Amino acid sequence: MLRVEGIHKSFEDFKAVSGSDLTVEAGQLVAVIGPNGAGKTTLFNLITGQLKADRGEIIFNDEDISKLPPYEICRKGIARSFQIANIFPRLTVFRNVQVSVLSQQRKSVKFFRPARMLAVKETREILENVGLAEKADAIAGSLAHGDQRTLEIAIALGNKPELLVLDEPTAGMSPEETGATMELIRRLADSQGLTILFCEHDMEVVFNVAQSIMVMHQGISIIQGGPDEVRNSARVQECYLGGA
Amino acid sequence: MRVLSKDFFNLRSLGPIIALLVVLVILPSIIPRFYIYILAVIFMTALLAMSLNMVVGHGGLFQFHHGAFYGVGAYTAALMLTKTSLPMWLGFVAGPFMAAFVGLLIGMFCVRLTKLYFGMLQISLGSLVWAIAFRWYSFTGGDDGIHGIPLPSLISSTKGAYYFGLILLILCVTVIYLIFKSPFGATLQAIRDNPERCEAIGINVRRHQLIAIVIATFFAGVAGVLFVVVEGSVFPDLLFWVFSLELFIMCLLGGWFTFAGPILGAAIMISLRTFVGIYTEYWTLILGIILILLIFFLPEGVWGYLLEKFGFQRKKLLEKEPDP
Amino acid sequence: MESGYTITFAALGSQFLVGLSRAMILFIVSSGMSLVLGVLRVPNVAHGSLYMIGAFAAFSISSLFGGGSTGFWLALVFAPLVVALISFVAERSLFRHLYEREHLMLLLFTFALMLILGDLVKMFWGADYRSIMAPEMFQGAVPIFGSPFPKYNLFLLGVGPLVAVLLWLFITKTKIGKISRAAAVDMEMVGAIGINVSWVFAFAFVLGCLLAGLGGALVSPTVSITLGMDHDIIMEAFLIVAIGGLGNMWGALVGSLIFGLTQSFGVLFWPQFAIVFPYAAVVIVLTWRPKGILKSVW
Repeated sequence: MLRVEGIHKSFEDFKAVSGSDLTVEAGQLVAVIGPNGAGKTTLFNLITGQLKADRGEIIFNDEDISKLPPYEICRKGIARSFQIANIFPRLTVFRNVQVSVLSQQRKSVKFFRPARMLAVKETREILENVGLAEKADAIAGSLAHGDQRTLEIAIALGNKPELLVLDEPTAGMSPEETGATMELIRRLADSQGLTILFCEHDMEVVFNVAQSIMVMHQGISIIQGGPDEVRNSARVQECYLGGA
Repeated sequence: MRVLSKDFFNLRSLGPIIALLVVLVILPSIIPRFYIYILAVIFMTALLAMSLNMVVGHGGLFQFHHGAFYGVGAYTAALMLTKTSLPMWLGFVAGPFMAAFVGLLIGMFCVRLTKLYFGMLQISLGSLVWAIAFRWYSFTGGDDGIHGIPLPSLISSTKGAYYFGLILLILCVTVIYLIFKSPFGATLQAIRDNPERCEAIGINVRRHQLIAIVIATFFAGVAGVLFVVVEGSVFPDLLFWVFSLELFIMCLLGGWFTFAGPILGAAIMISLRTFVGIYTEYWTLILGIILILLIFFLPEGVWGYLLEKFGFQRKKLLEKEPDP
Repeated sequence: MESGYTITFAALGSQFLVGLSRAMILFIVSSGMSLVLGVLRVPNVAHGSLYMIGAFAAFSISSLFGGGSTGFWLALVFAPLVVALISFVAERSLFRHLYEREHLMLLLFTFALMLILGDLVKMFWGADYRSIMAPEMFQGAVPIFGSPFPKYNLFLLGVGPLVAVLLWLFITKTKIGKISRAAAVDMEMVGAIGINVSWVFAFAFVLGCLLAGLGGALVSPTVSITLGMDHDIIMEAFLIVAIGGLGNMWGALVGSLIFGLTQSFGVLFWPQFAIVFPYAAVVIVLTWRPKGILKSVW
């Protein structure tokens, strides 16, 4: 479904990503792991268009998306969450998700219909799905950090994506919250048949959940394979576990 | 008539609004002419501040030179009324459309940038419009402006201008309110809160911003036409950047994250200028001090403060979503 | 035909010098604005008022000392210091409490300051026109390109580059200058290495305002000093900074040259619309490079 080939990105003199490959098959739950600064976030920003690659290809459903602006990539079916809680702080939780659903339904440029009658059912469904239904009327900026991160995922779900890209969905979370979030991710993958690509710096979190794991180190992808294959790889041991 | 159904309007707030309107309709028969005139000026300025707040408070854009579009609307109407023999109403209609057209042109440059860059570029481009109005004596009358614009007798009297302004204000504020509550308005507020996130959920941020600018400048043009009706003249000060920043203050003063705040802000500002101006020539000094107090003590504006203090229940009701 | 050509050439040459000396004033004022913009990231709307105060203060100081050459030189030194003192008080008493707040509040504060300072000038100096004589050595004109050129403008042509060089030395060679420059690029880093960011802001703000005052003092012998002289200069400084690249000192120089020269050549070619030429130049530059000619510091 998604294929990244030999992608490069430098900032001034710093090579953030220098030759990274990644494959995501439909229905898979794929994790990218690597220590902080390995280039995971840069890679994700390249995939969803926040950054433009210096060279390399990003093929999504047989189409090169590496030159498209973020909103067009989203319309092709890739939605994402961000590492820092990237929500709409002055709007209600409900409105946060609704805006995304409206965008997916191409209703963002409607002027003379009340927004609060539109996309209500879909929005409610998503909020119930992620467990934010009872906080629907709260102002998003006033939520606890964990809830904001969940809301972040809910906003991405509003786009009805084929591929959901989550940038460190558990960053800054307590162990319990981390467990709950990973559970949510697994449930979304199972129940809705979503293809999910996420990244994480803690390896243990990943091994129980992901079907395919890509390891990044200093901007280069070292290996991609199943959990066992990755766990037993000598190169991973050497530059990730040993080097850390 | 979905538009006018209760989905859009909160029935509870309709009562006070209707009461206010009744008072405003009756008022001209009991107050002196000078006050009627001041109220007409407030209507016009309130409309202008509302239109600015569409892009500033709801859209999060640094629209630093909104006055330029107001001036374009006023000048277009004034020039068509004085220099052509076309029907009167055509001038009134042309004003807003010309303002929106200039808004589109300038907006196309500005939306390529963000925040302060956006604001600086807009001040630059708007000032070019001002310089033309200020200098092109043979066409715009230069710094003298245009005086004695012929108007139909129905609206040329103070009372006529008052009712004309009131009707336009009600119409425009209703439309702005519909837009505020529409999916477009919701999306615009989301863009204000977080443009990067909006890009990532499939929203073409620049296009939305540009549409918002065109709509806002259209209403600025309507306010410009109203100026011609109320004052019977136009002059380049309308497009001067200082006035644009004053408009910005009106939004802040009233409460720029609220819907009705700018109306209140415009009313306070015009009243201050008029009545403080009677007692002292140093009214901008007082305005400056008020502004500083406001920045330090009421950053959400007067209306925002009142809402927070007394109107919280109603605010919650407004934002509550209906059950499916 | 041939004589027409030479006359035009001479006119061009002298207009070039007029534009150049105007550009020097513009540079001094706009470099101050650029500095504040670079470090505090706020366009100081009160900058023009401080320029006006610089001119009025120069008038008062020079008349205090009899209005002669001594008066002028003392005014040139002390008028900018008066302006610096005013800005220092405003910054330490009020402005600094806003650094943590929403950014637009900073802008509105400077606007409030402009309103207040404008009326204070009216209270203090009144609405009359004032003027200062240039010192004797710079009075009169010398013929250049066959037309008389004011000596005082020659003086300005010397002062402009001098200020530019001093500023450059100051920012690249002194510690506080280096810190300001670093602060313009990455405020967090400066805070992280234990420097009091609030004082860096204060320093940049006061130095920027001092330059506005210096500009006002320098321009005072060439214009009539009056209320309202703040409005034009602030707009011009704004545009110069925008076309030069926000916060970029050399950008302010380039922008000033573009602005001053288009203005003076505009007078030559189409006097009625002279004012439009610099604005048009701004539009052309910004269409071509929306973020200014030189790289903005942030």
